Amino acid sequence: MSNEQSREIEPRAKSELVTEDTRPGFVFRPDVDILERPDAYVIHADLPGVAEDAVDIHLDKGVLTLDARFAEEAGERRPVHVEYRAGGYHREFRISEDVDPTRVAAKMKDGVLELLLPKTAERQPRRITVEAA
Amino acid sequence: MPSHQVHRPSVRSPLSGLLDELRRELHAPFFGPLLSREAAYQGTRGVFPPVNLYEEGDAYVLTAELPGVAPDAIDVSIEGSTITLSGERKIEYATGEGTAVHRRERQSGTFRRAFELPREIDLDGAKASHKNGVLTLRLPKAAKARPRQVTIETA
Repeated sequence: MSNEQSREIEPRAKSELVTEDTRPGFVFRPDVDILERPDAYVIHADLPGVAEDAVDIHLDKGVLTLDARFAEEAGERRPVHVEYRAGGYHREFRISEDVDPTRVAAKMKDGVLELLLPKTAERQPRRITVEAA
Repeated sequence: MPSHQVHRPSVRSPLSGLLDELRRELHAPFFGPLLSREAAYQGTRGVFPPVNLYEEGDAYVLTAELPGVAPDAIDVSIEGSTITLSGERKIEYATGEGTAVHRRERQSGTFRRAFELPREIDLDGAKASHKNGVLTLRLPKAAKARPRQVTIETA
């Protein structure tokens, strides 16, 4: 579904993207799993700290763009030790032509986004029963 | 430990992540001064879950990024001033005919991290919450560990 596999070398840990973003803060590349089922492609993305309403998904010209934002809780907190930062997540996926763009669905649970990209009906494998004449 | 410099491979392997972790554990105090952005980023590769610690008035606030881990799969234990987070992150996909995995970056398995806080914790006041894959622990400092003003009486 994507030609990412041959294109990218990347660290396993949360990596920061260098972007021309005008928004302040850090932008990270989320870890993803991509599966292909007979009927659909499924993408799981780790987006810890992101609420459902802070995710934007766009599908345009065969490219699916995932954008998400998460904020640190405001308050009188003085950081003592910091291993992760607030900011955003961004990642793009090249989607193959057999995805039906009108039926793409997404849901969030415990900071993990699940994207379901159903294949168009005519591309799905079909069992053809041979009828007796 | 060999005395020569450890060779750093150009392509990151699981081993280099472990080495980073070991290096960090050896050289950094548990909760040292606020790390610089670069140090924090470099120093915590391969560590799961990444954790932030804040001080908020009379309490410590510890947050951990645990995406995809249900609250009941996270074990938090407190002993004196030591906090231990452990559990297992399970990632299971239905596999069958016609199912293929194109990319697998999300890691699963057990995790365990222990932290020594600068002060003892009031166990009864400790609270844990979980939202959007982030665990938040609110850990009030034990009364005896709080700073106290001592009045000097004149004789």
